[in-house]
Amino acid sequence: MRLIKKNPNKIKSSTLDVVLSVLNVVLLVIFTIVIIFPLMNFFSLAFSNSAFNSQLILFPKGWTMWAFEYILAGDEASYFWRSFLNSVIITVVITVVSNLVEAMAAYPLSKSDCPFRGGIMIYFIITMLFSAGIIPIYLLMYQFNLLNKIWSIILISISNVSNLLFFKTFFEGLPSDIEEAARLDGASEIQMFFFIVIPMSLPVLGSCCFFSIVGAWNSYGSAMLFITASAKEAHPLAYYIYLLIDRLRIIKNDPQVVAGVNNIQAAAMLLSIIPILCIYPYVIKYIKNGLTLGSVKG
Amino acid sequence: MKEDKILQASAAEEGTALVGAEAENATRKQERTDSLYVEPKYWKLQMKRVKKYRKVLWFILPAAMFTLIFSYIPMLGLLFSFKGADFNLIHGTVLSNLFSGEWTFRNYLDIFVDNSFYAAVGNTLLINVIKLLICFPLSIIIAVQLADLKNQTLSKTILIIICLPNFLSWAIVIGIWSGILDSQGGALNELFVRLGFIDADYFLMGKNEWFKFFVIFLSAWKGAGWGSIMFYAAIMAIDKSFYESATLEGANKLQKTWYLTIPAIMSTIALMLVLNISGMMAAGFEQIYTMMQLNADFETTQITLDTYLYTISVVNRTNIPFATALGVFNGLIALILMLVGNAITTKTLHRSLW
Repeated sequence: MRLIKKNPNKIKSSTLDVVLSVLNVVLLVIFTIVIIFPLMNFFSLAFSNSAFNSQLILFPKGWTMWAFEYILAGDEASYFWRSFLNSVIITVVITVVSNLVEAMAAYPLSKSDCPFRGGIMIYFIITMLFSAGIIPIYLLMYQFNLLNKIWSIILISISNVSNLLFFKTFFEGLPSDIEEAARLDGASEIQMFFFIVIPMSLPVLGSCCFFSIVGAWNSYGSAMLFITASAKEAHPLAYYIYLLIDRLRIIKNDPQVVAGVNNIQAAAMLLSIIPILCIYPYVIKYIKNGLTLGSVKG
Repeated sequence: MKEDKILQASAAEEGTALVGAEAENATRKQERTDSLYVEPKYWKLQMKRVKKYRKVLWFILPAAMFTLIFSYIPMLGLLFSFKGADFNLIHGTVLSNLFSGEWTFRNYLDIFVDNSFYAAVGNTLLINVIKLLICFPLSIIIAVQLADLKNQTLSKTILIIICLPNFLSWAIVIGIWSGILDSQGGALNELFVRLGFIDADYFLMGKNEWFKFFVIFLSAWKGAGWGSIMFYAAIMAIDKSFYESATLEGANKLQKTWYLTIPAIMSTIALMLVLNISGMMAAGFEQIYTMMQLNADFETTQITLDTYLYTISVVNRTNIPFATALGVFNGLIALILMLVGNAITTKTLHRSLW
């Protein structure tokens, strides 16, 4: 035991290295604090009495759920719920339809002897490279009578060529033997896609769905384009938050609301990130998988 | 196919050896026989493949339809950029308006005499260049630092925390920061006032002189952690034995980072750099437009290209053909940047951007 207590091969790390290690940890911790302080402050704002706003650092003071009550059951509660519902519909439809459509298209294109493969790929890739700007899309939605409707946001987001490329690359790497075996067993091409290819590509499908969900939930650029601020019944939640940041500063009738503007904003924002926080563990898994992948390679 | 190419090449060589019309005739004859020989075979082959895949080929159709309607038809919308300034949608459909009235190229010329356009391009490039100089190296530094941590739990915890802001929407990120910098009771604002950095009742995010700073600071706050993931994965994939031998040779940490880590992840760095430069004409529309709303006395000289485009086409909507022309012009520059970026990556990294 005594012999292996000190490893003779281990080189004593120099002072510089020790200093750098310490500095490294210190810098990372500072960076983490810069990230976490605003988040904690904003969480505590949502649960605090507005009288203590300026004293908040990391934890709530004067615990109250008043801001949440105002958002969820106050005068404007129906607007919040409507926006929430809109966001759920938009996110679910975009995630399911977009990924299904792109995965389906990627399947035949992943075969090396797919007819007109090069031409079809160019057809898709061109749309990634060039767009004529926002006016033509706006006019298209105007013509289809889709302005001020959530369908405009959904339809514009379904085509996702980068996911198509992602799926295609993944399908190309799948072993062809399994498909051959299934074909010998009499599986039709459609059965093969849904019962063999899709189950085999669940990891890639999962990460594509995850990014679709985050993107659809968080983006409000297309809502700003297609939906006016007055068409409240079609606002997604991110757009609601965007308007809230500014709007509550202007409307100042109720003194309690005036004092608690920041608390109300924080509560609404906290409510809107709950779904993201729910699927965030997936990111952790993603990071962990990345780590194991790296360690296998290394 | 290879044989065909060799044949053609040798024919071309012969052609250069021969002189004048005779040589041209010879090559043309060669080409003609080649095409006559290849063409039916190509179609036959494709038809055979269509037959083979007839049951799954329709899988492409839904995606192709969505692409056609929501990408290609709007591309035809660039025709609106050739209409006169009197274009409007008060009467009739979009199509009937398109085919009435005169055609003009003036809108594209107007772009170059528009002062706001130059200001917008300047601001967009400035913001993106500073982002490239600050946020991009910051991601690499964080990745290097994280990879240096011995404690896996600590590095994972830090990673999970610093990635979180990337999954919040811009409205929330800006809402959080405007909350803690709020002139009435924002925690950070209070601290700054107490330290004497700023006067009381001074909202930092609502000031023009701080606008660009916050654009860059917030994109670093939101994106730097997530941006480091790529580099972190690349560093973790480096063979550990390199580091061991470097340690045996007596290299210190800085040397190991500079001579080992950075060269090993150079291809990732180059790829991300090219991707960043390809997106140079967009400066984050949602972020900047939301920040503009917080700024009561926003100066239009601070505008970026995409917010300018949005302002003239959706908010003001005075001259739709001009706004379309600007959009098309912007799209063309973006296209050129993408093609150049792709050419660079395929040449140097043997990897296509798409």
